[in-house]
Amino acid sequence: MQAVVMHDGGVQAGLKSPRARALVAEAARDLERVVLPSRQLSAAERLGIYSHMYYARLIEVMEGEYPTTRRILGEDAFARLCRRFVAKNPSRSRTLNTLSLKFPDFLARTLPKTRRAGLAVDVARIERAMEDVFDAPRATPMTAAQFAAVGAGPSGRAVLRVTPALRLLALRYPANEYMNALRRGENPRIPAPRKTWVIVFRRGFQVYRRDQEPAQWKLLAALAAGKSLAAAVRGALRGAAGRAGRNAAERAAKRLGAWFEEWSAAQLFVVPEGRG
Amino acid sequence: MTANIATNRDPAPSGNRWGLPDLGLGVGLRTQHFRHITEKRPAMDWFEILSENFIDTEGRPLDYLDRIAEHYPIAMHGVSLSVGSTDPVDFAFLDKLRALAKRVNARWLGDHICWTGVAGLNGHDLYPVPYTEEGLEHMVERVRIIQDYLERPLVLENPSTYLEFAASSMPEEEFIARLAEDADCALLLDVNNVYVTCRNHDLDPVEYLGKIPADRVVQIHLAGHTDNGTHCIDTHDGRVIDAVWDLYARFTARAGPRATLLEWDANVPKFSVLQQEVAKAARFRGAQPRRRAAA
Repeated sequence: MQAVVMHDGGVQAGLKSPRARALVAEAARDLERVVLPSRQLSAAERLGIYSHMYYARLIEVMEGEYPTTRRILGEDAFARLCRRFVAKNPSRSRTLNTLSLKFPDFLARTLPKTRRAGLAVDVARIERAMEDVFDAPRATPMTAAQFAAVGAGPSGRAVLRVTPALRLLALRYPANEYMNALRRGENPRIPAPRKTWVIVFRRGFQVYRRDQEPAQWKLLAALAAGKSLAAAVRGALRGAAGRAGRNAAERAAKRLGAWFEEWSAAQLFVVPEGRG
Repeated sequence: MTANIATNRDPAPSGNRWGLPDLGLGVGLRTQHFRHITEKRPAMDWFEILSENFIDTEGRPLDYLDRIAEHYPIAMHGVSLSVGSTDPVDFAFLDKLRALAKRVNARWLGDHICWTGVAGLNGHDLYPVPYTEEGLEHMVERVRIIQDYLERPLVLENPSTYLEFAASSMPEEEFIARLAEDADCALLLDVNNVYVTCRNHDLDPVEYLGKIPADRVVQIHLAGHTDNGTHCIDTHDGRVIDAVWDLYARFTARAGPRATLLEWDANVPKFSVLQQEVAKAARFRGAQPRRRAAA
């Protein structure tokens, strides 16, 4: 029954599928010897109720998770893509939290190489990140005093722990700006490609998404990867110099204080487990 | 609705063999009402949660649940236990259910008489089982294993079904009654599902209802459904129809009052509409609805 219900070609295609035939050979030959018809519905129509509900339910879940992606691609195209995705990536979880984990990658592989599609992929990555941090584990934010103590500690070795409710995204389009424009009630055009760096995080129980400067994002990514504070800062400044010269590195160095202030206010740094 | 919440003490046991309480009249806890419930503390005897909505997450919904559980009794009801599956029992999932039950002091924990997937997949739907001796024995064994692990009886619901298997050798209500007896589990009697299933399979819902062992029923579900003419679908998207109220009245007259829950999961209305709808159940429970002030 599962092989039939989950087949994206519908009940008749499902009955003929190798998996269904391997399990219940007679079903393909004579379904009504396995599933009874009712007075008003054939056996195939009764199976079709479950088949329809399977895709309808999961597509509805994904519509709720990717509203802006859906808007960009169009409702019908989005539904078709969701159906194809679910057919290839059936749920293996007791909950629906991770159903669409691979959906942005699926879109990246599947969609044509157009601006609209490229923007949709990046918006999908942001929307997926928002779902992830919404459910992410909680952690105790560092106090200002605790943060200051890290900075004043043994030089070179201090490691900042980053909240599990944070995702860092390097994107090909200004997707976050696009989403902000929609939120303001505007009707933005599909933008030209431009690299952007975005963080998505949860503070308390509210989810936020913010654009970052390139060196800022790379510094935070290094910290999130477990690099020491000193190593992460050195790497970020070196990277800025490499991309845009010494002046860019000097500007980045001056911006460090503002970046850490922003991240501290966002409660991105947390106390290690076991210490409250 | 009864005045249980003022003290947050459970009322007297109802007529089930475990002495589990008649919690009164409740509704399913929905995200649309989280803020209203936590801010206004509206009159409601208890809430039922969908277990899977509150595991594998530490976000806002769990915070709301913690706050609501401080003031209202909670029962857990799930959709992924898959007691009829041939996959191994998922003990890691049971651990999560148990942790959640402890967190919210769940009065009971339940799911459905169905399977949801095999070979590690989950269809996120309630698939019917063939009602055979072999199927019964299989499900009894699994329910016993799960109950032993959780150290409490499962409260299992009769789902709405949209097909029947030619291999079935007994009616659904007999399967349910024998499952409850042999596995020593409790039952959640969904009278809307009885109606929908009987409509879909040309069965007599009154006869079906008469075979359900009353002393094993701990809870009753009420809900709306969609009538498509050729079949009904359990959509939980509207008011309870008169025929379902009739089934509720019949069972309550035979068995006495049970914890009663209104399910309204789609096109979810304002909370006050749910209050009005579930309050109709009071006339079948031998008491007039009493409005209580928020605690």
